[in-house]
Amino acid sequence: MKTKFEIKDLITVGIFTALYFVVTFIVACIGFIPIFMAFMPLIGPIFAGIPLMLYFSKVKHFGMVTVTGIIIAILMFITGHPYPIFIFCIGAALITEFVLRAGKYSSIKHCVIGSATFSLWLLGMVIAFFFGFREAYFASLVDGYGQEYVDKMQSYTPTWMFFAMILMCLVGGTIGGLLGARVLKKHFKKAGMI
Amino acid sequence: METGSRTAAGKEMLKLDPRTKLAILITVGIIMMSGKLTGIEYILRLICTCVPFLLLISVKLYKTAVISALILFATVLCEGFVIPNTKGILNLMIMIICGVISRFGPGYICGWYVVRSTSVSEFVTVMERMHFPNIITIPMSVMFRYFPTLKEEYLSIRDAMKMREIGQSIKNPFTYIEYILVPIMMSTSQIANDLSAASLTKGLGAGRKRTHICSIGMTCIDYILIAAMAAMLVIFFVF
Amino acid sequence: MIEFSNVTFSYEAVRRDGENEEAAGVKDLNITVKDGEFLVLTGGSGCGKTTVIRLINGLIPAYYNGEMTGTVTLGGRNIRDMSIYDISGQVGSVFQNPRSQFFNVNTTDEMAFAAENRCLDPDEIKRTIKSTAVSMRIEDLLDRNIFELSGGEKQMVACAGINVLSPEIIVLDEPSSNLDHQAIKKLAGILRSWKEQGKTIIIAEHRLFYLKDLADRMLVMEGGRVTAEFGADKIPELSYERCEELGLRPFVLKEIPFMRKDEKKVCGSIELKDFNFTYKDKMHSISIPELEIPEGSITAVIGNNGAGKSTLVRNICGLEKRCKGIMRFRGKSLKPKGRLHNCYMIMQDVNHQLFTESVLDEVMLSMTDKSLGEDEKAKKAMDILIELGLDAVAEMHPMALSGGQKQRTAIASGLASEKEIIIFDEPTSGLDLHHMKLVADQMKRLKETGKTVFIVTHDYEFILRCCDRIIRVDKGMIGDEYDLNEKTVGKLLDFMNINDGGNENV
Repeated sequence: MKTKFEIKDLITVGIFTALYFVVTFIVACIGFIPIFMAFMPLIGPIFAGIPLMLYFSKVKHFGMVTVTGIIIAILMFITGHPYPIFIFCIGAALITEFVLRAGKYSSIKHCVIGSATFSLWLLGMVIAFFFGFREAYFASLVDGYGQEYVDKMQSYTPTWMFFAMILMCLVGGTIGGLLGARVLKKHFKKAGMI
Repeated sequence: METGSRTAAGKEMLKLDPRTKLAILITVGIIMMSGKLTGIEYILRLICTCVPFLLLISVKLYKTAVISALILFATVLCEGFVIPNTKGILNLMIMIICGVISRFGPGYICGWYVVRSTSVSEFVTVMERMHFPNIITIPMSVMFRYFPTLKEEYLSIRDAMKMREIGQSIKNPFTYIEYILVPIMMSTSQIANDLSAASLTKGLGAGRKRTHICSIGMTCIDYILIAAMAAMLVIFFVF
Repeated sequence: MIEFSNVTFSYEAVRRDGENEEAAGVKDLNITVKDGEFLVLTGGSGCGKTTVIRLINGLIPAYYNGEMTGTVTLGGRNIRDMSIYDISGQVGSVFQNPRSQFFNVNTTDEMAFAAENRCLDPDEIKRTIKSTAVSMRIEDLLDRNIFELSGGEKQMVACAGINVLSPEIIVLDEPSSNLDHQAIKKLAGILRSWKEQGKTIIIAEHRLFYLKDLADRMLVMEGGRVTAEFGADKIPELSYERCEELGLRPFVLKEIPFMRKDEKKVCGSIELKDFNFTYKDKMHSISIPELEIPEGSITAVIGNNGAGKSTLVRNICGLEKRCKGIMRFRGKSLKPKGRLHNCYMIMQDVNHQLFTESVLDEVMLSMTDKSLGEDEKAKKAMDILIELGLDAVAEMHPMALSGGQKQRTAIASGLASEKEIIIFDEPTSGLDLHHMKLVADQMKRLKETGKTVFIVTHDYEFILRCCDRIIRVDKGMIGDEYDLNEKTVGKLLDFMNINDGGNENV
C-alpha cells in the first residue's frame, strides 16, 4: 500500500472536500430555519454522504481524510466558528481513517461506517451551545440569582441534547453513506467510472 | 462563495495582512464565545462588537455594516441590561436569542470579511509562510478554484433540468437530489483527473517547495492591531 | 530533438485509480522531431495522436498507466529516466479543454504557476509576465478572474503561461476545439511567434486550416500508426478532395464546394418579437425587435465570441425568465415558459443533461404524456433509439458512451419530448471529419421529420453541409440574415475569412 501523497491525491482531496463542504453548507443554510437547526446533524450528513462516498471510493491511503478534516476545520474557523471545531474535525477524520483502513480502503461497508464517523465533526459547530457559553452564562448568573435558580435554569437546556446530536450525526451519516453506496452502484459502477 | 471572484487588486481602504485578520478572528471568537456578561469581560465584549462594523466599513460595505452593527449592539446591550432584570421563561427566551446572535454573529461577520477581502493567492501564500505543509495548501487552493466551477456546473445542470421539464415538482426529494448531484459528481471526478494531468505538466510536485508572486507584508497598522488583540486576550484571561 | 523508436503503448483498461481510459494507444511508432520543427499530428478520433502528445510531455508513464515498449528520448535522454518534474521544465503543454487545465482562479497567478513551481524569483516572474503580456497584447487579461473569460481568452492565458517559462518544446492537444475563428487567428499568431523563436512545436489537431503556413511536416495517424507523411512542400498541394480522401478536415476553407441543391419547402415560420434581454452583469445583451425564421429548416447562428449567440438561443429556448419577448409559433404566442415547453437544447457539454442510469430510461424520462403506460413508453423510446442507431446500447449507462453517442442520446430525449424546435450549441467542436459528417446527417434527418433546428456554430464546413439559413449576430443585434445558396455562400466565406487565420491574408 502506498502512503506517499501524489499530486493526484492532493487534487482529489481538494476537489472532493470542496464538493462535500458546499453540500453541507447548503444544507446548513436551510438549517437557519430554527426548527431545522436542531436537526442539522441529522439532515446534513444524509445529503453530504452521497458525494462523501464517492470521495471515500477514491481514497487509497492513510492521511487523505485527515487532510480533509483539517481543511474543513480551517474553513469553518476562518468563517467565524469557534476554535473547538479543530478538535472535532481532526478527531472525526482520524477515527474515519482507521475505519477505512480496517476495510483496506475498498470495503463499501467500512465506507458507510466511515461516513457516519466523519459526520461527527458537525458537533464542533454546536459544542459551544452546550459547554462554552452556557457555562459562562450560568456562572455570571450565580452572583445575582443564587445557585438554586441557576440549577433550575440548567435543566431547561439539558446536556442530553448534545448526546442526542451525536446519535443524529451517526444515524444521518449512515443513511447518507447507504444512499451514496446506492448511487455509486447505480451510476458510477454501471458507467465504469469506479 | 465569493472567494474566487476577488482578484489581487483590492478595493478596500485598509489592507490588512492575512495574519492580522487571523488574530482578529481568534480574539473576537474567543471573547464573544465564552465571555461572561458582567464586569470587565462585558466591556471587552462591547469592544469586540465594534470590530465587525469597522471591518465592513473598511471594505466599503456601508449598509451591511450599519445594519449588522445595530443588531449586534441591540443584542449585546440586551444581554447586559435586560437579562439581569427579567425572570423565568422570558429570561430564557431572550438569553437564547441574544446568545446565538451575539456569540456567533460577530465571528461570522469577521469570517465573511476575511473571505471577501483576501484573495486566494494571499491566503495560500500566508499559509505557506506559517509553515503549513503543501499537502494542506495544495488541496486548499484547488478547492478555491473549484468553487466557481461547481457553480457553473450547477447552473448548467439546472438549465438542463428546466429544459427536460424534470424536477419542477419535488415529489421525491431523493430523485431530485440524485439528478443534481450525480452529474456534478461525474464531472467532478473528470475535472479532478484533467486538473491533475495539467498540474503535473506544469511541474507541481507534492513534496516540493514553490515561490509566490503574491507579496504580503505586515504594516504598522497590522502590528498595532495584533498588539491590541493580544492585549484584549491577556485582559480577558487574567482578570 | 525528440525521438520515438519502436514505441508501442497500450493503456491499462482500468487505471490505477479505478477509472476507465478510453484513449487509444500507439503501435511501432518511429518519429524523429528535429529542434525547431513544427509538426502537426492529425487523424480521426482514437488514432493515437493524443497518446503521442502524452508521451512527450511525460504524462505517460507518470500519470497514465499502461504497457510500454520502445524508447522515447528528449534531447538524448530517455523519458523513463526523467521525472515528470524534469520534463515539465523542458516541455510546455496546452490542452483541449480550457475549463479544466487551470489551477488558479486569477489569470496572473495562473501565468506564474509553472514558474512558481520551479522556484523562480518572484520579482523576476512578475517582470516576465508583464513583458509577455505586452508582447502578446493581452495586458487586459492580467489580474482577471479566469471564470469571466471566453474560451479564446483562456487559451491565450494558457499560452502566456508557457511564454513565462519559455520551454524549448511546446505540445498542444487540439487547442482550437472550443475556439471561434477570431480566437483561432490569435492562436495562429502565437504559434507563428513561437516558430520564429525556434521552438519545437508538436500539435495534435483536427482543424487544419490555420496551420497551413505554419506546419513543417504533418503526420496522418490511424489506429496508432503513422499512415501518411507530408512535408512542408507537399502540404500546400493537399486539395479539399485529397483531404477528404484522407479523412481530414480541409486546409483551405474556400475550396470547400457547396454541393447541395435547393430543396425549398417552407411551410410556415417562427416569429420572434421584442427579444430584449440583458444579463445582470450588464456585459452581454441582445435586442432583437423582430426576427422571422422558416419553420422546418436548419438555421445556423454565427457571430464572433461575445456577440450574443448563446444569449439569443438561451432566450429562444425560454431559459431566461425575465425576457419579455414573444415567439409566434404555429398560431401560438409563447412566453418563456411556453417556449421551454416547445424547445430543446443540446448543450455543448452534453454530460450535464444526462441524468438516469440507462439510455432507455433517459429517453423515457422525457415522455411526460401521462396517458401512456410504461410499456408503451418503452416501446416508443426503443423506436426512437433504433432510428438513432442507439438500440444496441439501450441498457448502458449514458456516461459509459462515446461523445457522439452521448450527443445522440440527448437528441433522442429531445425527440421523445416531442418538442418541435431543437437547438444545438456547437455540436461539432472537437470533431474529426467523419464524426462531423455524422452530426450533419443527423441534422438533416431531424429536418426531414419536420423539426426546426438552430445551430450555434463556428464550423464553416459543417454549415455548408447542412444549414439552410444563416443568422449572423453582431453586438446583440441581427447583423445579417439570409438563405444559404450558391450566391450567398461567398458572403458566409467573407465573414469567416475576416476572422480567418493563416491562409488568405498572408
